[in-house]
Amino acid sequence: MPTDTKRVRGPDVSQSPVLLGYKPAAVLASRGPREDGRQRDQVDVRPVFVRCGLVSQAKGSAYIEAGNTKLISCVYGPRETDRKDETDMKSGRLTTDVRFAPFSCPERVPWIQGSQDKDLSLMLHESLQPAVCLQRYPRSQIDVSVMVLENSGSALAHAVTCASLALADAGIEMYDLVLGCSLQQVGSSYVVDPSYLEENGWRCNSSESRGGLTVAFLPSLNQISGLQSDGEMSEETLTAGVRTCIEGCYKLYPVIQKVLTKAVRRAAPPST
Amino acid sequence: VSFLRRSKFEEGGMMEVSASNNVSLREFGCEQNLLSRPDGSASFVQGDTSVMAGVYGPAEVKVSKEIYDRATLEVLLQPKVGPAGVREQSQEQCVRETCEAALLLSLHPRSSLTLILQVLHDDGSLLSCCLNAACMALMDAGLSMSCLFCGVTCAIGADGDIIADPTAAQEKESRALMTFAIDSTERRVMMSSTKGSFSVQELQECVAVSQKASEKVFQFYRDSVRRRYSKNL
Amino acid sequence: MAAGFKTAEPLEYHRSFLKENCRPDGRELSEFRSTTLNIGSISTADGSALVKLGNTTIICGIKAELTNPTVDAPGKGYIVPNVDLPPLCSSRFRPGPPGEQAQAASQFIADIIESSEVIKKEDLCIGRGKLCWVLYCDIMCLDYDGNILDACVVALLAALKTTQLPEVTINKETSAPEVNFEKKHKLNIHRHPVSVSFCIFDDSILIVDPTAEEESLSTARLTVVMDEEDQLCSLHKPGGTPLSGEKLQECIKRATARKGEIHKLIEKVIKSMKTAQ
Repeated sequence: MPTDTKRVRGPDVSQSPVLLGYKPAAVLASRGPREDGRQRDQVDVRPVFVRCGLVSQAKGSAYIEAGNTKLISCVYGPRETDRKDETDMKSGRLTTDVRFAPFSCPERVPWIQGSQDKDLSLMLHESLQPAVCLQRYPRSQIDVSVMVLENSGSALAHAVTCASLALADAGIEMYDLVLGCSLQQVGSSYVVDPSYLEENGWRCNSSESRGGLTVAFLPSLNQISGLQSDGEMSEETLTAGVRTCIEGCYKLYPVIQKVLTKAVRRAAPPST
Repeated sequence: VSFLRRSKFEEGGMMEVSASNNVSLREFGCEQNLLSRPDGSASFVQGDTSVMAGVYGPAEVKVSKEIYDRATLEVLLQPKVGPAGVREQSQEQCVRETCEAALLLSLHPRSSLTLILQVLHDDGSLLSCCLNAACMALMDAGLSMSCLFCGVTCAIGADGDIIADPTAAQEKESRALMTFAIDSTERRVMMSSTKGSFSVQELQECVAVSQKASEKVFQFYRDSVRRRYSKNL
Repeated sequence: MAAGFKTAEPLEYHRSFLKENCRPDGRELSEFRSTTLNIGSISTADGSALVKLGNTTIICGIKAELTNPTVDAPGKGYIVPNVDLPPLCSSRFRPGPPGEQAQAASQFIADIIESSEVIKKEDLCIGRGKLCWVLYCDIMCLDYDGNILDACVVALLAALKTTQLPEVTINKETSAPEVNFEKKHKLNIHRHPVSVSFCIFDDSILIVDPTAEEESLSTARLTVVMDEEDQLCSLHKPGGTPLSGEKLQECIKRATARKGEIHKLIEKVIKSMKTAQ
């Protein structure tokens, strides 16, 4: 096994105490109200707290908090590209990097992460790229990084929203904002903006068909830039799910708009 | 290591630092210019602790590391066994920044200097031995420096007495351990790295001991360089 | 005009301020930026703290896990601190494994934990030779504007102070560990180290709590770590221009004053958290 020589090393194996304790009601009810009191089968997204321009060093940054899910996103650039050989000289390059803080999940995430963060980075890239006017930035690179400080479900959806807000805060030219919303299907019912338990708890009791869906949506163009789904869903529930997610995005839209106008006002106060 | 020892005995390279002025150091040994590939090299022995140093440069620098008005210095510290870890990296930083302060890097803009330190044996006071080996190797490479520097390690024993240049066993028993780099012009502290906790008073005593010990080390530097050149002539 | 001067001749720009005994951000030479502390903001961590030192933002999360002690030290647990400087916090860092600065910071924090014995590793032992805690102290920079070491130490100390571990017992019959999440206890913090960093400008001028720009223009850096009993836990000066004894004394004096402020801040924030509950 290759050892990590660039970090202070601990013991080779260690176990989270959560695995040894008794299970705190692992069986999730698939009927009735949800654990946090939200409504099932309705577009009941968690209220979000959003701020722009928190990081002094970045060109643009955004912080989003939905329930206990906390993310921070920074944008650097446009700057000279690292890889000169393979770039298309006519358009810019967008790089994305999503990472989970080691303490962000109930179980500790090791520093060297597996495929999960790479998958998320790729999905974020695919969701954002159609919205950014990359042809405006020839021969340059725009770096987007997202750090998940606490993962309480729907990390990808909020990462999309947060990153697009940071891009807008950085003054990168875009066709539209990108908003993200996710949904978890449990048999015939669904939950919007699922929590960590609702997202991962279904592994325990797989009596019903379940699936997850995340949609990245451009609200003013009314277009979908990214769609990711896993698990088992019929065609009908999937199309219905996409429609529900879009509805969720529209709920988010006024909040994001307000934050952005506030940030712009602060950066350039209207001349009186 | 054996060839090192042999050559040193042939030259009479070992010299004892006398134990006057209550600062006693172990036996020091140094040989410069013993490797043919690097532009400068030195081995430094403090008791059983031994470090070999090699300097390459000034040479061409990678574009990404280029600094427009001075040379880029890189320091690599190789432990005796296994790959270099976080501790080595932090010691590399200490050695590099000390060398950077002593070297006149602006004489070689847009070029690279590489200093490689190979630990041959660790019997305490390793960081100070690394610093001494680095200084001798830089000297051997003929690089211009504003001053010389030397490393001195002090250990504070459980009963509060200060031991200069401790062995590994003495380090283990000590309550606190400090390594300083002292410059040759004004005997001031260039680098400091400590372990364990100690009072301000103890710190000042250790700095004083190190400054005293540095005189001996610099005298040793002078003697060993003089011996080397007197032979060549 | 001033902005152009700052970009073209940053060193001269700073010197012109230092000549007047002040700094571009309006601080005096021995003045810290405002320090704010937020604790327990990460519910997935066993203890957490967010520290802001001016613009510099550091978050520390503690995760405790169970493991076997080593054969060499059967009565001791582990403390594993790591500092991460992700590309998110500044354009000077690139993605990939930690660079030299992050590694040096990790080692610095590890040395402080070791030297000051903030937590005795013996306290983390549950069953001698069988079971112990490992405390992963993951420290992450979210905004890099200089002097991360001071912020890291505050974040670490505050996070450790708020860490609560569930009670673990070893079942005598099955010798399997049992965790009781109902009963939680705090860590025993033995000492409270506080770090104070300085930069040296032009080989002589000493400034405290440097910003990122001041750090990169300075000729040497110095960090003093001191605990509540005026014992030094570290005097870290990774090279650079030499420092005289008098200047060193000045640094220690400043550290003595600063540590009181930090202890008060941590106490205040913890108290306000308790009353809020």
